[in-house]
Amino acid sequence: MTKPLEVLLLDDEPIVGRRLKPALDKIGCRVEVFQSPKEAVARIDEKEFDIVVTDIRMEEMDGLQVLDHVQKTWPRTKVIMITGYAKVDLAREAMGKGVFDFIAKPFKPDDLRRIIFRAAEALGSPIDSSLLNEEPVAQ
Amino acid sequence: MSIFIISSDAREIEENIAEKVVETMGYTLLNRDILATVAAKHQIDADKLSEALKTTPSLFNKLPSQQWRYYLACIEADVLEKLMADNIVCQGLAAHLYVTDVSHAMKVRVLSGNRQGILGVAEKKGISLHKAEKWLASELMQQKKWSLAAYNYDETDLTRYDLVINLDQIDPTEAVKTITGAAEYRKFQVMTYSMKCLSDLALAAKVNGALLKSMADIRVQARDGSVVVLTRASNRQKRKKIETIKELAGSVEGVSYVEVHVKKNILGEIN
Repeated sequence: MTKPLEVLLLDDEPIVGRRLKPALDKIGCRVEVFQSPKEAVARIDEKEFDIVVTDIRMEEMDGLQVLDHVQKTWPRTKVIMITGYAKVDLAREAMGKGVFDFIAKPFKPDDLRRIIFRAAEALGSPIDSSLLNEEPVAQ
Repeated sequence: MSIFIISSDAREIEENIAEKVVETMGYTLLNRDILATVAAKHQIDADKLSEALKTTPSLFNKLPSQQWRYYLACIEADVLEKLMADNIVCQGLAAHLYVTDVSHAMKVRVLSGNRQGILGVAEKKGISLHKAEKWLASELMQQKKWSLAAYNYDETDLTRYDLVINLDQIDPTEAVKTITGAAEYRKFQVMTYSMKCLSDLALAAKVNGALLKSMADIRVQARDGSVVVLTRASNRQKRKKIETIKELAGSVEGVSYVEVHVKKNILGEIN
């Protein structure tokens, strides 16, 4: 059996973690959910995650700062940004800074899983794509 | 990088640069050659589509406003559908005016430049430099007028572009190198968000085309298969218009939900 993908999921809205964790568990990811960016960053300092999924607009620290921290600490880690305030300038800024992908809320869990599949491939640990199936939209 | 949208104040320059970028990058060229396909699909004369891309409605050219908007909507819908594919160079189809907020589409404006532009026109038309200068100025004014009438954007406003190249200062070969080099910019890479923006635009354009065939005063927005149509009608026409819009828009492939907002006023912009 292949090693599960280690995923850190950060969003200050608790419902996002509650909805997305089971969706990612289903495809064999080991997911740790955080609502506080500071706690997430402290955890990132302790452990190398394969993938970090982070919201952008948060109170204590924004997603771009989290991205910067991840890149300095674990350059191999893929960062995926999710936001309810998507705009073309922000999307380009995030891509320019090196995010793996950028997705606007609301989205379906499968939309995120597709990105996770691609990230896993890029990391050299592909997941079985038959695990994808349509589910309701995550707000 | 997946889409370059190249435009210029001089059509010939735009075509040449686009072709050279296609040659260098191995991308697909999307240009006015598609008008024949668009025309056949919508049973319109291809020459009228081509005409719609350069003239504005007037009694003189017997092009009513509703028909003109319908022609443009047909072109727009097909162009946006084709842009969903990867690695395309688009030119001559006014895409720089309606492909908005798609982060992986780089809009490039190539300026013929005073010196090059005037010399080129004078040589081609066999006229004096002074006349060529006047001719160019009037062409530019026409482009501005057309883009404002068609999409409410001034295409001569250079702040609208991601990359602007002046051929008075940069040779065409270097211009092509600059454009192809920009394909490496991470900021313009395809992402899930930008593809979704593009597919929403494509769906809105398809619905717009379906509606403009039989009615005017329409504005369409789409998101994930849900479509919002803004229009105007009198109290007497309101119910019938909503029903017709829901039926027409609902029959477009990819539409799962239609909402219609009707304004009663008959003047001004729909927004």
